[in-house]
Amino acid sequence: MPAVQETIDQVRQIDVDQYKYGFETLIEMEKAPKGLNEDIIRFISAKKDEPEWMLEWRLNAYRRWLTMEAPSWARVEYPKIDFNDIYYYAAPKSMAGPKTLDEVDPELLRTYEKLGIPLREQEILAGVQESKIAVDAVFDSVSVVTTFKKELAKAGVIFMSISEAIREHPDLVRKYLGSVVPVTDNYYATLNSAVFTDGSFVFVPKGVRCPMELSTYFRINEKNTGQFERTLIICEEAAYVSYLEGCTAPQRDENQLHAAVVELVALEDAEIKYSTVQNWFPGDSEGKGGIYNFVTKRGDCRGANSKISWTQVETGSAITWKYPSCILRGDNSRGEFYSIAVSNGRQQIDSGTKMIHLGKNTSSRIISKGISAGKSNNTYRGQVSAHRKATNARNFTQCDSLLIGNNCGAHTVPYIEARNSTAQFEHEATTSKISEDQLFYCLQRGIPEEEAIALIVNGFVKEVIQELPMEFAVEAQKLIGISLEGSVG
Amino acid sequence: MNVQSKKPITAAEQSLLDRYSERRDALQGDASVTELRDGLVHDFAQTGLPGRRIETWHYTDLRTLLKSAPSDFSAEAGASAKPIVPDSIVLSARNDCQDSAIPDGMDVSSFKELLASERATDLLASKRSDDFIGRVNSMFVDGGSVVEVSKGAKLEKTIEFQNASLGGHLHTRMSVNIGEGASGTFIERQIAAGKTDSFVSSITDLTIGKGAAVTWIISQERGVSDTHLGQINIRLGEDARLTLFIANAGGHLVRQEVHVTADGENSDFALRGVNLLGGDSHTDITMEFDHLVANCVSAETLRNVVFDRARGVFQGQIRVAQIAQKTDAKMACNTLLLSDEGEFFSKPELEIFADDVQCGHGATVTDIDENHLFYLKARGISDSKARAMLVNAFISEIVEDLEQEDLVEAFENRFSEWLAQHA
Repeated sequence: MPAVQETIDQVRQIDVDQYKYGFETLIEMEKAPKGLNEDIIRFISAKKDEPEWMLEWRLNAYRRWLTMEAPSWARVEYPKIDFNDIYYYAAPKSMAGPKTLDEVDPELLRTYEKLGIPLREQEILAGVQESKIAVDAVFDSVSVVTTFKKELAKAGVIFMSISEAIREHPDLVRKYLGSVVPVTDNYYATLNSAVFTDGSFVFVPKGVRCPMELSTYFRINEKNTGQFERTLIICEEAAYVSYLEGCTAPQRDENQLHAAVVELVALEDAEIKYSTVQNWFPGDSEGKGGIYNFVTKRGDCRGANSKISWTQVETGSAITWKYPSCILRGDNSRGEFYSIAVSNGRQQIDSGTKMIHLGKNTSSRIISKGISAGKSNNTYRGQVSAHRKATNARNFTQCDSLLIGNNCGAHTVPYIEARNSTAQFEHEATTSKISEDQLFYCLQRGIPEEEAIALIVNGFVKEVIQELPMEFAVEAQKLIGISLEGSVG
Repeated sequence: MNVQSKKPITAAEQSLLDRYSERRDALQGDASVTELRDGLVHDFAQTGLPGRRIETWHYTDLRTLLKSAPSDFSAEAGASAKPIVPDSIVLSARNDCQDSAIPDGMDVSSFKELLASERATDLLASKRSDDFIGRVNSMFVDGGSVVEVSKGAKLEKTIEFQNASLGGHLHTRMSVNIGEGASGTFIERQIAAGKTDSFVSSITDLTIGKGAAVTWIISQERGVSDTHLGQINIRLGEDARLTLFIANAGGHLVRQEVHVTADGENSDFALRGVNLLGGDSHTDITMEFDHLVANCVSAETLRNVVFDRARGVFQGQIRVAQIAQKTDAKMACNTLLLSDEGEFFSKPELEIFADDVQCGHGATVTDIDENHLFYLKARGISDSKARAMLVNAFISEIVEDLEQEDLVEAFENRFSEWLAQHA
């Protein structure tokens, strides 16, 4: 059955030509020469004032990267990227050395104001914003400012840019960096390891519940630059953190590369919630321009009873290649993945998750909703795997897609791998199977089936989206009303 | 997607190349066929056996699974086994030693004759770069049958084609054309008739004409050390109905590919599969279904039972073209994983370009439900008996979809026997 008008209207509102964050900030930038070689890596490392081991780590990654080939298994098509035609480092000129908010270039502050990102603590405290959020703002290759650092430090939470962390907490960074996504994990992760410029570092010590939401806002501004951020979040025993990530870029005719790596480590009883609203420039309706988003995100439930939850709302990027994953190593650990991916124009999305069950009694849940419109292609690709010793592994996967119009494609590619008899995996992609009981309950009360299904699914999605802070949820909120009628796998 | 860089040649690859050099001049076919075979061998020498980097062979990595290939060729075995359904017409898939009477409305000739004709080169080409079964079969095939069922023919008796292996290489091809409005039930029986260590490739090209209704059964019963590579290529015409039933209970390394193209509107396709896996076997069912026209229905249900150290694979891909509106496609793959050393991998894929369709898939993997077991045990049924009952029930549901009583009974018996030996 085709999509209802309500859904069509809602998707149109976030169509590619409605992109609101396409403005450019005119600010003097300092850039490394174009191209990629060992000297550029030395330049980045020197700019960041990094210790020798970090430079070695980068160079090692670069040498490995030279021997690797770009992956071609995803259902995305793009011309070969010329890695020597990209600036790997671009920072606002006024950004020499760490700054307090008062010293930050007013032009930059205006940019974040326009994007609706709260950077002034006093305003946030004065109640301009509803909830209290600490923000790390990353502009091209550098972190502009990190708010609420002092207050967080009181609780023992370390929240700063990764460049700062490498200087101030080298032991912690060295211990965890690359321990979840190894340097040689994949082509783009290896490239990132060589040239990453900034990103956020979060460390929540044992027993601490992070007192506020942490958030990083990524902005690509400069032409011909690539953004390579690296995020590392560590939750020690019984700690908790909720982290949000937002991203936008100006409207440009050429494609820009964004290759990030995010690593999460949850020790015993710890919980990490990671939410993303990805709104990179998607290109225009003819497919010109837009960001290539090649991201490696992985969480390691290292300790028993730990939990990692990924939530993503994807509306941007010309190409998305992203599989936020959980390695369920600790016994009784739990991984979750909730995703809404909307593609429009000529966007291509190949996204999903991996749940790797290694410990005993581990469980995971995957809920994925893909909506394709225009001439886009939207692929869910997910792997669920239980190893021989992962007794009582449990997974539930549900992925639904909706097509609007007749020029787009929706695809589902699940890989289900069971290696012991106690594993219990369920994968479903039909609307009729959405909790028969709930459906029956609604139908019995005279709600038509289509509305009932929408109600059930949206009830769930809403629960997730409502946990995002308002300013990041603008796009997400618009999707809430989208129902699941006419679902196809 | 399907690139594989050059790796050292494996023993099995070398063996296949050697066998071709030895056999080349003795194979059936004229110069154009030989030229085509030479080309395929050349391709094979370049690409080798498919490994895990080839997406469609990810879980069945022949580079590591196929340790060796036999050095001799199988003798012709004919059709000698008792048919699955009593009173069937039994024919040899290789069209040798034919002694049953061919019913009216059906014509059978030897694939050897076809190899000598101009049509041969069209049939023998390998479909795609990852079509290893097509390639290896076309390299070596020298026997099979060509079956024509004429327009409107109603075949009352079940026709059973036996493809018996006697150890060594066996490469068979069947080309079956069901005429407009015809109907019939066919069993393609892949059996081991004697010593094992066979290496079999068997391809069936099945074309179902407008309004024809067919039940096609593939019963794979190879020996415990046999390699069986099967492929069935189906074209469904307008208003055609096909029930394809696959029963895998045998073999050491088995892959059965099913490629279906619906190119006439209102066709109806049902696939039912039962995979009984035991010992150290590796069994793979890979299906691709192309919906190219509107208003077609396809439904696939597979039930797998895994014992011992067996490994099972199901890959199912449903593709719905932009014009194939109102397609109704369902796919389910349910697995009972009864052994901690067993493994099962499933990959049910959907690729959809039409917006007014209903497509869905479900996949489950689990052990026997403790509640069900408890229910039976509470009624005084022993653990092993209760388990057997539940496994039987799990499969029976699928077998019953065959509808024809004699077929249902025959397969229920076959599966019970297999389970009694393995459980």
